[in-house]
Amino acid sequence: MLVLFETAAGYALFEVLNEGKLEDPEELWKAFETPQNASNTIKLKSFKKFENMASAVSSISDVLEGKLSDDLSNFLKETINETSIRKDKLIVADPKLGASISKKLGIQVLSEKIVIDLYRGIRENLDSLITGINADDISSMALGLSHSLSRHKLKFSPDKVDTMIIQAIGLLDDLDKELNTYAMRVKEWYGWHFPEMSKIVVDNLAYAKVVKAIGFRSNAQECDLSDILPEELEKEVKEAAEISMGTEISDEDINNIIMGCDQVISLTAYRAELYDYLKSRMMAIAPNLTTIVGELVGARLISHAGSLINLAKHPSSTVQILGAEKALFRALKNKNATPKYGLIYHASLVGQANPKNKGKVARMVASKSSLATRFDAIADEKDLMAELGSTCRKMIESRLRFLEKGGAPVTTTDKRKKQQKFELISTKPQYNPYADIANEPVEAGPSGTKAKESDDSDDSQMEVDSEDTDNDPLSKSEGKKPVKEREIKEQPMQIDEP
Amino acid sequence: RGGGIQKRGAAVGGRGTRGGRGDRGRGRGGGRGGRGGKPGVKGGSKVIIEPHRHPGVFVARGKEDLLVTKNLVSGESVYGEKRISVEGLDGVKIEYRVWNPFRSKLAAGILGGVDDIYIAPGKKVLYLGAASGTTVSHVADIVGPEGVVYAVEFSHRSGRDLINVAKKRTNVIPIIEDARHPQKYRMLMNMVDVIFADVAQPDQARIIALNAHHFLKNNGNIVISIKANCIDSTVEAATVFAREVKKLQEERIKPLEQLTLEPYERDHALVIGRYVRAQ
Repeated sequence: MLVLFETAAGYALFEVLNEGKLEDPEELWKAFETPQNASNTIKLKSFKKFENMASAVSSISDVLEGKLSDDLSNFLKETINETSIRKDKLIVADPKLGASISKKLGIQVLSEKIVIDLYRGIRENLDSLITGINADDISSMALGLSHSLSRHKLKFSPDKVDTMIIQAIGLLDDLDKELNTYAMRVKEWYGWHFPEMSKIVVDNLAYAKVVKAIGFRSNAQECDLSDILPEELEKEVKEAAEISMGTEISDEDINNIIMGCDQVISLTAYRAELYDYLKSRMMAIAPNLTTIVGELVGARLISHAGSLINLAKHPSSTVQILGAEKALFRALKNKNATPKYGLIYHASLVGQANPKNKGKVARMVASKSSLATRFDAIADEKDLMAELGSTCRKMIESRLRFLEKGGAPVTTTDKRKKQQKFELISTKPQYNPYADIANEPVEAGPSGTKAKESDDSDDSQMEVDSEDTDNDPLSKSEGKKPVKEREIKEQPMQIDEP
Repeated sequence: RGGGIQKRGAAVGGRGTRGGRGDRGRGRGGGRGGRGGKPGVKGGSKVIIEPHRHPGVFVARGKEDLLVTKNLVSGESVYGEKRISVEGLDGVKIEYRVWNPFRSKLAAGILGGVDDIYIAPGKKVLYLGAASGTTVSHVADIVGPEGVVYAVEFSHRSGRDLINVAKKRTNVIPIIEDARHPQKYRMLMNMVDVIFADVAQPDQARIIALNAHHFLKNNGNIVISIKANCIDSTVEAATVFAREVKKLQEERIKPLEQLTLEPYERDHALVIGRYVRAQ
């Protein structure tokens, strides 16, 4: 009887030496109590190690779905020869996998109650039974495999990691500082030779390029600086080069200065590339936030909060003053007015507003960007069209226009739905009380006899009438009338007869 | 227990230093705690750390006493909890993290006075219902680098946080699978010494038993947190606990101790048992 056992390091095929022990599940644990007993009961027939993490992950995911992966089927075919397939049985932990194996290989497969004890025994004594691999290997493989499998399950996509943003913005700031330092140094150094140029060409990159192009100031006349500087500046530089009061420097010196300029130029190029990279990452990770506040401010907010999810957890009032903590706590301690904006101040929407309205706009931008951040951080399906971001931005812009000029104030909802008054219109046919006419009033009849006769029946009639009047309020007056009429009419008849 | 070295320490403020500007946020919200009351230990106050009766767990004594564990990854908070830095005798700095009993059932049990949690340095623990890894991180601190915590959690959102915790603590193995099918993570598991279960499912007894049959050593221990409302909200809590214990007994788990988690949780109980598969 053969047993298939999957580990994090690979597949193991065991052979049961003493099949009699498998008959009794209650006593099977004794067979595995010590490593010695275990090796007497079961023996490792063959072990196949996974080549690398990727193959391990794909193989194990197949096995978990019950499918027979390629390397498993190869392994089984190699180790189980023809005679075994006909005579032996294979024990597999997962019934689904067992079914696929028996379909493919033709070998009989078992997976019943005895299986659990058997696998417990094997698992307990794994170190001693599998001789090729030691315990540390298996545990480190298990750790790596668990992480890879979980990531595979969660569909972990590497371009949604916000650590890249935080590192990129950190590097961008560092680069800026470095660039500034180097450029200042180059200007000072070259200024020893040609001091006037630092006042004429202010831009760092242009200065470095010009220095690289002309070298000694005596070459300035022949040099063509049209692709580095605009015409007037070029003329000024050339004029100043003639009458400069700087000292002479040697070739070696100018070579080193030019090497410094090379550094400035390459760093500036790298900074531009890094900025592009940051922009594309921001759009991939937080498209809605980027639409509202811009890439740079968005990246700084994420970096300040620590991660995108952390930023989403902050209330929007916090997002409004992120970056102004020193001023905030100072104001809180001294019971002064707290700052109105922090990093948000550099967003383009806040920059556009009047100084009077900046506070209001900062608050609006903070609230909408909070919404956008939460959507970006938590939504399962990200939309690259950034719908939420664009609607929020439009809303803020129209509100800004209203603040500056007046006009129709904007509400958050696009369509202004007016609530209609609620009226219940019943479709069922209703009882129309006016269609209901009770008994016609009884006419004051012809003769006294009839009246007398009616006297006897009067009481009953009256009772009947009174009953009627109880149920039907409208017939009250009608019921009473005939009685009165009859009484009245009786009297005149009596007067007439004698 | 007893004869522990008394160390003086200074409480350090809350957040982990992630991102370059994290330091500036430190002053903010120092007293902000988890749900339920949290002692307001202000930054900079002095406390004394002494070991708890349970190995691997410590107590910080100051104006208020706090339950703490030794931080496996110095300098970082997992879920924004306070950390206490201590200078040892040889000048080595050790950091301890505060364990909130209102957020963690295990801490509530320890403070409630449970006899033995069976989670100790060097043990292998199977943690069912790991959620975002807040209690898992403390269990990982207790078992130390020689022990292993196999954390099982099915939810994807919590699983992401769990993986982040596991990245920092290499003795945690994250498993994003349903605990109802222990077959699905059989290749990652070794036999374990303790199972801790905080799954909050109506069929939790069956889930725990299944996992025990597959992965728990003979005479291994089980620590379960039972939420009465979750099993059956119509019946009284005590009856629910009794029924659960009976279900466990049928699956060869011998109950050793039961204790309610008042005042930290309402209608919750911690049940400790031993798995006796073979005599």
